[in-house]
Amino acid sequence: MSVINPADTLERQNEKLLQITQALMRKVEQKNEQSGVAYAQFERAALLEVQVRERTIDLERTLDLLQESNARLEAANLETAIARENLTEAIETINEGFALFDPADRLVLFNSRFCRDLSDIAGQLREGLSFDAYVALISASRCLSLPSGTNPRNWARQRTRRHRDDYVVFNVSLTHDRWLQVSEHRTARGGTVILQTDVTNIIRLERQEREKLRDEQALILRATLDHLNQAVCIFDKDRKLIGWNRRMNHLLDLPSQEAALGRSFVVLLDRLNSQLSFQDKFDNDMLVQWAMQKEGRSPIVFEVTGDNDQVLSVFAQEMPDRGFVISLTDVTAERAAGRALSEMNEVLERRVQSRTRELGIALSEAERANASKSRFVAAASHDLLQPLSAAKLFVSALSDQIAQPDLRGIVDKAETALSSVEQIIEALLDISKLDAHRPTFDIQPVRLAAVLRPLRDELTPVAQAKGIDLRVIDCGLSVRSDPGYLRRIIQNLVSNAVRYTNTGKVLVGVRRVGGVARVQVWDTGPGIAHKDQESIFQEFKRLTPDQSEHSLGLGLAIVERACTSLGHGLRLQSTLGQGSLFSVDIPILEGLKDPIVLARATPDASDLERKGEIVLLVENDEILAKALTLMIEGWGAEVIHARTGAEGLKLLSDIDLRPDAVLLDHQLGEGISGLDLLAHIRALHGDVPACIISADRSTPLREACKDQNVRLLPKPIERRALFAFLNS
Amino acid sequence: MALLQDFEPIAGSRHSLCRGQVSAAHPDPVGQLRGDLGDAPLAMVALLISPTADFDNIVEKANQAFAGADVVACTTAGEIGARGYEEDTIIAIGFPKARFATTSVLIEELDDRSSQNVLDRIALDRVGLQEAHPDKRHGFAFLVVDGLSLREDMLTAAIAPALRDMALFGGSAGDGLEFGHTRVALNGRACENAAVLTLIQTDLRIKVFSIDHLVPTDRQMVVTGADPDRRIVKSINAEPAAREYARLMGKDPNQLDQFTFASHPVVVRIGGTHHVRAIQQVNEGDELLFFSAIDEGMVLTVAEPENLVDHLRQKLDEIAAAGPLTDIVGCDCLLRRIEAEQMQMTRDLSDVLSRHKVIGFSTYGEQIGALHVNHTMTGVAFYAPDGEQG
Repeated sequence: MSVINPADTLERQNEKLLQITQALMRKVEQKNEQSGVAYAQFERAALLEVQVRERTIDLERTLDLLQESNARLEAANLETAIARENLTEAIETINEGFALFDPADRLVLFNSRFCRDLSDIAGQLREGLSFDAYVALISASRCLSLPSGTNPRNWARQRTRRHRDDYVVFNVSLTHDRWLQVSEHRTARGGTVILQTDVTNIIRLERQEREKLRDEQALILRATLDHLNQAVCIFDKDRKLIGWNRRMNHLLDLPSQEAALGRSFVVLLDRLNSQLSFQDKFDNDMLVQWAMQKEGRSPIVFEVTGDNDQVLSVFAQEMPDRGFVISLTDVTAERAAGRALSEMNEVLERRVQSRTRELGIALSEAERANASKSRFVAAASHDLLQPLSAAKLFVSALSDQIAQPDLRGIVDKAETALSSVEQIIEALLDISKLDAHRPTFDIQPVRLAAVLRPLRDELTPVAQAKGIDLRVIDCGLSVRSDPGYLRRIIQNLVSNAVRYTNTGKVLVGVRRVGGVARVQVWDTGPGIAHKDQESIFQEFKRLTPDQSEHSLGLGLAIVERACTSLGHGLRLQSTLGQGSLFSVDIPILEGLKDPIVLARATPDASDLERKGEIVLLVENDEILAKALTLMIEGWGAEVIHARTGAEGLKLLSDIDLRPDAVLLDHQLGEGISGLDLLAHIRALHGDVPACIISADRSTPLREACKDQNVRLLPKPIERRALFAFLNS
Repeated sequence: MALLQDFEPIAGSRHSLCRGQVSAAHPDPVGQLRGDLGDAPLAMVALLISPTADFDNIVEKANQAFAGADVVACTTAGEIGARGYEEDTIIAIGFPKARFATTSVLIEELDDRSSQNVLDRIALDRVGLQEAHPDKRHGFAFLVVDGLSLREDMLTAAIAPALRDMALFGGSAGDGLEFGHTRVALNGRACENAAVLTLIQTDLRIKVFSIDHLVPTDRQMVVTGADPDRRIVKSINAEPAAREYARLMGKDPNQLDQFTFASHPVVVRIGGTHHVRAIQQVNEGDELLFFSAIDEGMVLTVAEPENLVDHLRQKLDEIAAAGPLTDIVGCDCLLRRIEAEQMQMTRDLSDVLSRHKVIGFSTYGEQIGALHVNHTMTGVAFYAPDGEQG
């Protein structure tokens, strides 16, 4: 402690410390104010100085910051100034008027081109000008060419309204035909940039182009109108004539273009009224009424007749501007041609009708003639068969009773001749049937063996007689066909082969080709020349006239017709001098179980097994009835003959007898038929063996016989068949 | 080489201030100074006049020679000129109008406590000067005051508020080592017990500074008896002041002189900082006469000086580092000169001062802000404007 002098005594030290303490205490308590003002002031100043220094440091720091920010501000201000200068220079280089309004719609800057064309207000633009004031200035400008009906206030209101749109571009018309295009663009801050572009040249050019185009279009339209083959006139919405083409002048006697232009439709129509007369239902008043409609006219078409019978087709149609266009077409020639055409048509129609009538008559006559011919052929054949059958039976009966061989030979020849006649007549009958409009066939399963075997039996003797080797090869196939016609076809082919073959042999065989059985008939005959291969199938054609005794040449004609009608393919292969091959294709029927036996061989016995049986014969043909009676009684049976059904029934009731067999002709003239009679007999006498004899070979009769379980013997009656019936 | 570098000026050679220097024995010192300062119009001329010169005569002539400019003058305890510490010279510092605007006020009758009028005038002058010269944005106040008036503490404390943020520095006029009469003058009017305050605005960047090279020790003493009005400390630690001071410094009480005081200063510590209370002399009653205000109960702390030269060089280098330095006007305490002489550092110190373009004088006390202190160097440094070399 430097205040203590160690050299002092403790008392002295103590005394000094007391004094020091007192001095310090006085100082602390500021009791020595009298004397210490200067030091106190110094002390205060010193304390203050400390504070000031601290403050000064703070202040300096603040000042530094301030200076720094001032510097930055200065730099920023400088940049702003430069930017503004650049902006000003930039907008000055723009070829358009440029103005920028701030988001509060105050004018911020603009270039010298802005509003330059509005010379009376250009000087009044200044920064801070409001948008509304700017619009008001322009609206009142003498340079602005206001649209008619718009005053400056209206214009200003419309312009201000546009200002609120997002995208604003419009043209402003100035005096002296000058144009400004004004566009507004929003800045990102919500300010507005207005660009003014002088589009006077563009607009003027456009207008010129448009006028040019319009002129060109008018010319083209005019040329097109004049080119039209129709007369055309056009009316505006006030029904004033505004144009027509040259053709109109030709067609109608209109006043000159100048005089007519602008005339009213009604006036013009009145003028034309004397020249034109309306056709159809459309008249003058209706046309006027149509024209007087203000709008919504529907297109109309009508015709008028002018002088010299000129016919005009008029087509009137409304146009988009509510006017209408009328076109007239001279249809005189067309109408005349149409009329001629329709007249010619009528004549032709009449001719066709009369011709049709004539043809109808001719056809019915032809049909009638054909039918009568067919009826005649059928009737003639039928009527011929009856006596022929009787003759055969007589000859047969005669033959049985003649013992002398020479006489017997003559009778045999007569019998043969009669058989030939019978064959010819049957052939004719067949042809007439096949020629009928719709031949009836009884298509059923047929075993070929059942056809071929009898033919072999039948024709082998004939062949042997000629010294020809006839061989028929057996066959197990069944086919679908009409058994009668099929037999006839094959029989004709084989008998022809035998007939025309002088030496050698005839071979008959069946070959299976796919689904058909091909029946082939080979011969070693003279053959048929190629040129004759078609004609041989015609009626009454024979290649060798010298062999006329047995044939009328109907065999192949029947074969051809029957094959055609049945759908069986017929073909011929032949080499002249070597032989011929006829073949017929018949559809095969597989798996036939119950073959129909067409014919069976019966022993030619002279007597029946049971003698004295009573046979009822009802036959209205006296001769045939006598022949039958003679033959049956020759076999040892008794015959009761009646001419009609009623007579037959009466006879049976008179003798009160049940016949052992009945033999009934089907066609009994007047009265009941054979089948009806059989029904009566069976009703009286039970199931008597019965046989219907008839020249009718039609299917309905065969069906009916089958239904009544009765045998049918066709006329002419085969002796053996009759014998077999009576003997069974 | 190192030695040569030491003599080179810090940067550039162009001064912002006009400088004149003439021997006190010169037959026409004012004429010489007038020539030195050149033709540039001056706002103000400061004359730092050795006590060996004819103060009244010089200020009167200077007033005529520098018509149009305020002429502020004071006596010195030595000058600082072209070669650092000078003696028996007259230094003239001219402030050209191109860069400076000034207004000066003579404050007389420092005993008079009713100096409110003066303060008002200072405030008005300051505002008027600043408003008239907005281009000269940097301002400071330069005070010269009678060094024997015993009123410096009161004066600075009173003036400072009127200056607001304007930094004040100044020096107390000296009278060599005589302590007889110190004088100040403004525009030819020379006074004692007075002060001249000059307000200066300039476009140059400036820095007002105070350099103190003393470091307080833990040796302390308490003033137990004093006559504050006369700045006399009668007793310390309840012993006669001189004897006790001598005991604490380990000195013979009968051998105390300026050199002792210069090398063994005492300071008061206020608010974390210290201020030198320099002792002027010992009177017959073994009392200590101080250069600045003292009071009873005051605690004095013994301070040890750092190396004067190194410290000054370091501080001035720091100041010079703030920009292209053109001039420094400094008020350097007489005690520092004495200390330098005693430590045989005068030459080195002069070099440092010269190299840093310091011009000024040795004082009986320095003013900085509101304070009057001792044993420091206060001053102002001027820097060339941006873009101009110093």
